[in-house]
Amino acid sequence: MLLNRTTLALCFLFILNLITSSNQNLTIKDDLGHTHVLGNPPQRIISLAPNVTEILFALGLEKKIIGVTRYCNYPEQAQTKNRIGGMVDPDLEKIIDLRPDLIIAFRGNPLRLVRRLKDLELPVFVLEEGTTLESVFVLIHRIGQITRKEKAAESLVAPLRENLKRIETSLKNVNNRPKVFIDLYGKGLWTCGKKSFMNDLVLKAKGVNAAGEIPRAWFSYNREELIHQNPEYIVVISKSDSDFLEVKTWFTKEAHLESIKAVQKGNIYFLNEDLITRPGPRLFQAFDQLARILHPSFFKDGQ
Amino acid sequence: MTPQKKRIRLLSILLFLLVAGLYVSLVKGSVKTSFIDLWNFLAHNDQTHAQIFIHLRFSRALLAFLVGACLSLSGAILQGYFQNPMAGPFVVGVSSGASFGAVLALILGVNMSFWGFSMQNVFAFGSGLAIVSLVYILSQRKGTFKVETLLLTGIAAGALASSLTSFLIFFKSESFEQAVFWLLGSFHLADWNHFRVIFPTFIFCFFVSQWLAKDMNLLVMGDEIAQSLGCSVSRTRKIFLVVSTLLASSSVSVSGIVGFVGLIIPHWVRLLIGPDHRYLFFSSSIMGGVFLMFCDLLARTILSGSELPIGIITAAVGAPFFIYLLNQRRR
Repeated sequence: MLLNRTTLALCFLFILNLITSSNQNLTIKDDLGHTHVLGNPPQRIISLAPNVTEILFALGLEKKIIGVTRYCNYPEQAQTKNRIGGMVDPDLEKIIDLRPDLIIAFRGNPLRLVRRLKDLELPVFVLEEGTTLESVFVLIHRIGQITRKEKAAESLVAPLRENLKRIETSLKNVNNRPKVFIDLYGKGLWTCGKKSFMNDLVLKAKGVNAAGEIPRAWFSYNREELIHQNPEYIVVISKSDSDFLEVKTWFTKEAHLESIKAVQKGNIYFLNEDLITRPGPRLFQAFDQLARILHPSFFKDGQ
Repeated sequence: MTPQKKRIRLLSILLFLLVAGLYVSLVKGSVKTSFIDLWNFLAHNDQTHAQIFIHLRFSRALLAFLVGACLSLSGAILQGYFQNPMAGPFVVGVSSGASFGAVLALILGVNMSFWGFSMQNVFAFGSGLAIVSLVYILSQRKGTFKVETLLLTGIAAGALASSLTSFLIFFKSESFEQAVFWLLGSFHLADWNHFRVIFPTFIFCFFVSQWLAKDMNLLVMGDEIAQSLGCSVSRTRKIFLVVSTLLASSSVSVSGIVGFVGLIIPHWVRLLIGPDHRYLFFSSSIMGGVFLMFCDLLARTILSGSELPIGIITAAVGAPFFIYLLNQRRR
């Protein structure tokens, strides 16, 4: 009996101790469930994805970033940072050599890579892509938290949120939702399905994604199905104007695609790949452009 | 030159290459390090590059060596087993089968593990064994193997397994990185856990095959002769089949499919020191290890700031050399 009471008391003390100590040392979990202690602001940050790099720069962390991927081309200063390799095959030696105190990984980095970084006792924080436009707000807040830039994150998100609201208000009275085919540049009709954040962009821009029924994220679409879906708009997502022209010419020259409304009406548009494929602040520019492509008449008064 | 001298010469060359390869593997990399840095680390316990030396370069070189050794030993066994110099873990479909099993385990999300051995290893072994047994049964005619049937069945079964693997990857993970890893192999993310799987496997399989090497010499003469000379044919065959599959499947589960090593190395060693399996197994293991270690060195240094899948290197180096060997022999 006595023993029981002592253990009970000890347990109580232990729990009390847990509660108080957790107050002193704030921890957060990344999207894989790893716990991170929020200590002093990180001073040596490596970004493993272009959108993360863009967010870090937008939070004013330029001086703290010590390494980016070879795909990180925005803002321009990002190109002056150390290149640690690609998203799939970063150079582990270089990463260790840079002695980072925070590595931010993203959805495009393979899980095996993340595990290996953990294994090497590197401070890696993993973030998910999300499936909606609002996921970007969460992403920015999360990055703000881990880098101790909560206030900057707040003031980065506020105008973006406002921007989103403004566009949604402009589109409030849209009744017809045109069908859109999103064409990602490359061999084959690569597009996005229900599980991608791009699908949400199309929906919020008051359109219907031609491939939106398919419960996957990124895949190659079927030509017959495209003809059957008969989209009113085709939005080509590519790196450059010349790539866009190449795709546009292909759509207009192929005899079997003639029946598609978008081809007949010449409704084939360009969207910059870097804007729309990276869940970061610039995604809202892409959203704005997409909304204007689909519903130009609702933006006439220069809004 | 007597056979013994030939063997000694080969082993001393390999030993030299092994030491040289390990040294270069430790010193070369994207972070510039010199002999001095290595010396300071080894002799004066300078920790500046400790992680890079031990956890990246050394672990990786060692793993490449062991995988090369496993694949070559597996190839040496299979070539004796099928009495055919064209056999190898990739040719008879074991590698592709194992890769299918590993990907299946990954996608089903079964990740229990004990002592570093995960369900992935078990699945890889199971499906590798299934494929090789199938090939074995289908290509056997009245106790002998027809070369064409064996090769064609192996290639077909391997292609089937590869297509299933690609299907799983395409359907489930939507990641090309996975496809490249499983179909072309890589040591990019090699770590000590992989070592813990492959090292005991290799040691165990090596001793078993060395112990049965004499029986393999008899098997090569044909099952009936082997039987009459006192070899328990069916038992020996079963053990060798399991051992070679275990070797190939554990290699695949840590590094993906690395082609060509298991085919060319034992073949080359046989040309150099003759067909006695008592020496062939050991020499093939060492040579395969050294070969793959150098291939991996190329894979991580040939393009700066980027990794090549190792299968590209082994095939690019191995295939022309193999053709050269075949031509030499014909003359």
